[in-house]
Amino acid sequence: MFKYVKHTNYPIEIKKKDLKMAKYLITQFGGANGELGAAMRYFSQKFSMPDDYGKALLNDIATEELGHSEMIASMVHQLTKNATVKELEEAGLGSMFADHGKGIYPTDASGVPFTVSYFAVTGDPLADLMEDMAAEQKARATYENLINLTDDEDVIRILLFLRQREIVHYNRFKDLFLYYKKKGY
Amino acid sequence: MLFEDNDFDINMAFFIPDVNFNREVDILSPMEGFLRGNMFKDEYEPYKNLTYFKLKPSNEKEMELYKIMALSFAINDLNLYLDLHPDNKEVLDLFKKYVMEEEELCRKYVKKYGPLEVCEVTGNKFNWVDSPWPWDGFGGSMYV
Repeated sequence: MFKYVKHTNYPIEIKKKDLKMAKYLITQFGGANGELGAAMRYFSQKFSMPDDYGKALLNDIATEELGHSEMIASMVHQLTKNATVKELEEAGLGSMFADHGKGIYPTDASGVPFTVSYFAVTGDPLADLMEDMAAEQKARATYENLINLTDDEDVIRILLFLRQREIVHYNRFKDLFLYYKKKGY
Repeated sequence: MLFEDNDFDINMAFFIPDVNFNREVDILSPMEGFLRGNMFKDEYEPYKNLTYFKLKPSNEKEMELYKIMALSFAINDLNLYLDLHPDNKEVLDLFKKYVMEEEELCRKYVKKYGPLEVCEVTGNKFNWVDSPWPWDGFGGSMYV
């Protein structure tokens, strides 16, 4: 069961329109290393975690990542607010507009739609946790690439926050991985 | 040696004596942790020379919401830690303290500005529907 809370994890107040950045940033919503994939990966993996530590951690990180998906989608929404069709076209978002208007549609930065193959569920706790550790590192690297693609402080501050969350999640997954390895799962 | 220069050696997983469930942790204040995105001082890893930015609330409502968000962040980060260390009394006490503080701030905020959760609806109108929604951001909704 989920409860909605009417605030984001971190404030999102983007004042400047930046369609190119929106085009890149959408990858953290619908790309292979994005937040939606992370949320659904952990959400699906929690069912095969062998004890309470794993069930709790996967469940709770999945929940946080769902909030991060909303943050990225909100950022794209604000970066494209009041954009004209001509501006969208000039920024390389013409095809996106043809299919989805100004809706927020999960794709990677090249426009490839989200796919469930990003979930990567094996049913093996060690394999899944190793996948999750790699996923957090890939998401961290992607956030760093995105930080290098903008100079808007309103955007960078949020990306730094989200990048730091990947580090925390990586550490938690690593702790659990080492514990499970020792337990012999 | 394959893993000689690596910080994290997967083979070492076999030689870890025990997972220390009650190691000392240095926990930051909710606001500082919130700004950094990390409540744990020793785990904080800034990117290059970029550390974190201070918040600039534009009015009292925003300032009060940021305080709630900071506590909500602290609760969530301690939550993840406690998932793996449920017997750590020190962190659990801190978790409970922040939960109480957050509830108190939310009560005041909701009374003044409207619900943060649907059960908190007040008055004769179902004011849950009122903008701004979290994604609206600066200048309110696109359509209103």
